[in-house]
Amino acid sequence: MWSLQVCGAGRAGDGTNTSVQLLGQALKDMGAWVFVWRDEVYSNIQTRDSAFGLRAADAPIYGPDDLFDVLIAFDAGALEDWTHEGRVPPVERLRAGGVLIYDSSPRLEYPNTGHEIREDLVAHLQEARALHVFGAPFGQMAKDQFKNYIVRSTIAVGALAYLMAIPLSVLEGRFRRLFQNELLAINLEALYLGHRYAQENGWRAPDLALPVGTLKAGERQLIMGNEAVALGSIVAGCRFYAGYPITPASEVLEYMAEKLPKIGGVVVQADSEMAAVHHVIGASVAGCRAMTATAGPGFSLMQEAISAAGMAETPIVIVVSQRGGPATGLPTKVGQEDLNETIFGGHGDFARIVLSPTDPEDAFYLMGTAFNLAERYQCPVFVIYDQVFAQSYFTTPPLDPARFTIDRGQLIAPWTGHRSNGAYHRYRLTRDGISPRAVPGTPGITTIYYNSNEHNEEGYITEEIAMRRAMVEKRVLKRIALIRRDPELPPPRVVGHPEASIGLIGYSSIWGPAVEVVQRLLAQGRPAKLMALRTLWPFPSREVRKFVESCRVVYVVEHSAGAQLRGLVQREATGPMPRKLRSIVRYDGRPITPGYIIAAMKEGKA
Amino acid sequence: MTIETIARPIDQADITGPGAWWCSGCGDFGVTAAFKEVLLEVVNQLGIPLERVFVVSGIGCSSKEPEMLRVNAYHGQHGRSIPVAMGLALANPQLVIVDFGGDGDTYGIGMEHFVHACIKNVNMTLVVMNNQVYGLTKGQASPTGHLGLKTSSTPYGKAIRPVNPLKLAIAAGAAFVARGVSWKKKELAQLMRQAILTKGFALVDVFSPCVTYHREPGYRGSGAIVDWYRLNYVLDIKEAWERMRDQVFTEEERKRLPADYDPTDPEAALMALRLIEAAAKMGREVTGLLLIDESAPTMAEALGISAERPPALADISVESNLATYRQWLQELT
Repeated sequence: MWSLQVCGAGRAGDGTNTSVQLLGQALKDMGAWVFVWRDEVYSNIQTRDSAFGLRAADAPIYGPDDLFDVLIAFDAGALEDWTHEGRVPPVERLRAGGVLIYDSSPRLEYPNTGHEIREDLVAHLQEARALHVFGAPFGQMAKDQFKNYIVRSTIAVGALAYLMAIPLSVLEGRFRRLFQNELLAINLEALYLGHRYAQENGWRAPDLALPVGTLKAGERQLIMGNEAVALGSIVAGCRFYAGYPITPASEVLEYMAEKLPKIGGVVVQADSEMAAVHHVIGASVAGCRAMTATAGPGFSLMQEAISAAGMAETPIVIVVSQRGGPATGLPTKVGQEDLNETIFGGHGDFARIVLSPTDPEDAFYLMGTAFNLAERYQCPVFVIYDQVFAQSYFTTPPLDPARFTIDRGQLIAPWTGHRSNGAYHRYRLTRDGISPRAVPGTPGITTIYYNSNEHNEEGYITEEIAMRRAMVEKRVLKRIALIRRDPELPPPRVVGHPEASIGLIGYSSIWGPAVEVVQRLLAQGRPAKLMALRTLWPFPSREVRKFVESCRVVYVVEHSAGAQLRGLVQREATGPMPRKLRSIVRYDGRPITPGYIIAAMKEGKA
Repeated sequence: MTIETIARPIDQADITGPGAWWCSGCGDFGVTAAFKEVLLEVVNQLGIPLERVFVVSGIGCSSKEPEMLRVNAYHGQHGRSIPVAMGLALANPQLVIVDFGGDGDTYGIGMEHFVHACIKNVNMTLVVMNNQVYGLTKGQASPTGHLGLKTSSTPYGKAIRPVNPLKLAIAAGAAFVARGVSWKKKELAQLMRQAILTKGFALVDVFSPCVTYHREPGYRGSGAIVDWYRLNYVLDIKEAWERMRDQVFTEEERKRLPADYDPTDPEAALMALRLIEAAAKMGREVTGLLLIDESAPTMAEALGISAERPPALADISVESNLATYRQWLQELT
């Protein structure tokens, strides 16, 4: 597989992010499979070091590789730990013999002021790491030619385009989609200027040119995880979104805020996550498909309402976009520490469903499933993933809304009509334990009573033994049994050699690196297989048990020091199995890469 | 398929539930009686279908209101009735939403939601049965408990000053602010009726005495606590106006003020705030209709939510929306 990895490193607010994204889109347009991620983003707004990664390949990829082939250094932070707090600058991950492009301006401007790149350091790196080094005064050029400092990153993109032999017309197409008027004119000029500069100065780097022959341009989309989730929800019929801004879930709120009002829906920016989830409950009772999205701290605030949704049998969908925890933790960095809270949170026993997408294409359709299941079983449904999935851009095949099927479960609404056979009882005891839900305003129905207290069939409070038992059996025991049998529950994704003795288990963004581990091990003659879980609750015990039984050793890979997923596997499928079941965990907030997994596997052996 | 609508006119039996196990003499009975009267009127005389009435409540004695009724309702958790009501109000502006809460429920644990609902001007009515104590947990002082109030959680007398919900609601921009008393059913019903018909957020705080746990020195026996309220605590806004306008307002101000207190006056909010303050200095709490101001858009209006085609009744079929979905997917390529 051909794969090339580029890092743009500068400071937050200096345009690096936009430039790397534009480059990624252009490469996608040329037929590459592209993955763009936030390699280094701190939880503050301006002037801290930041780095953005871009990977392009001639086959599907769903995550970053370990080393960069190209580093565009916009200031000193790309090359050195100037704060002396143990930060690992991106150049540490630039492969030996790689390409370093840097801004050689004698003086940088805000937000890069004071972080000029030291020529002696560049010379040292060049020699020590056998780098191909190209310096250009991008900042100076931007100031002199355009009186607009921020376009220096566009000049750099132009120069890199020359080295990679990317046709300027492809980039131009992308610039035209992003910028208008004067900003477009300046950026296009800057792009050409960078290209010319590299050409005139005879820049040449081996192995950078795209293998144009092997790239097959097709209709593909470069889409962010959170956007796929938001649009998938809208197609699933979600018309009510309430949320509170929180990283890494805010993009769902923002996408919904832009789109839902245009299609007869509503978005409420609530005064807290507590308020948000209760708005969602209210909207659901009113008859909407309703959802919210949040991350750790907000999710903790929602636990009371989740319990209420379980008790009152209210369908709601909650997206849990995980970051490093606990508490405020690492707001902009990846973690998978909220799995236990998602599965076991909310006081009391009640039915729930927890789904997890492996990539945006999966997520898009999974949201349809989430809403169907929520309404079919009148319970909370969670869609859990992590920051790498949420905020990275993935290349997907064209997404098809026509593939969605909407099943609203047992619903009585003004549009379904209602044949009255006595008074409506919200919690009518039926054979399968599902009571038809009525939408307020349905003619003839005036007795819809949802209750968070234990209740009788009509919804009125009761604490008597027989009714309590009947309701728990209906709401918890029968419901969970029903859910377990539902064919729409997404099965695990399994790849690799069926007879392989090495197994990997993970979910969400673990999918990308783990698939590559399987490929690489196979190339080394060591067959392995991967099981990515897409339904985490009810836990797919049988599938996981069979998978584990078929392996000699199984690595559970996750971003959790507490090994929450491994704990679930043990509790729900296999028992302790201390020798066979091993953990590969990463809890420093950085994405798990193929190399990280392989290194950990080797370590485990020693 | 036949769609049967309920027979009209409806009567007490149609809207009466099994009951809430309130103490004999509880003020909440008065509130319920007043509300049922209003409900019959808005359905039978004003033609609002009972199907569109939706009652929401939280936790506390007062929040058992849905148990007294037989109407569409959501009985949620402590302090969270308002955000649930907001979700309903925005998802379907055709609904007539009445939220019943208590003083602990609304002004303690649910304060965040209360203030935001006023600011956002959600089209709903909030009835708070305010009795200065947490009745359902056996009588601890609530946020509205007056200074010095002795309860099981304030054995030496309440040391923290009480919240004044009327001031908060006015300051936060509620469209309708009133306080009734549970022992005057006719007046309370009138306030509730006006509140329900007001466009925007309407607060009806109601002094609804707890006959079991609210004790005042010198007032013993059944019904005594109502006497305490009547004789020591409440002051009608009209009376406050009569008695205190000269001391509260300057001569200059008095020249342009109306002869009687007018809740629709553009300056009603400021007048009310000053009268509340002056009354508080005498240890009194004002009652009556303080403010009606429907000038601000409701939250649904501000967000452009269509009452004719509410989100809850939207056509969400994939076929009907396919063109839009395809266009939005195209934007993401």
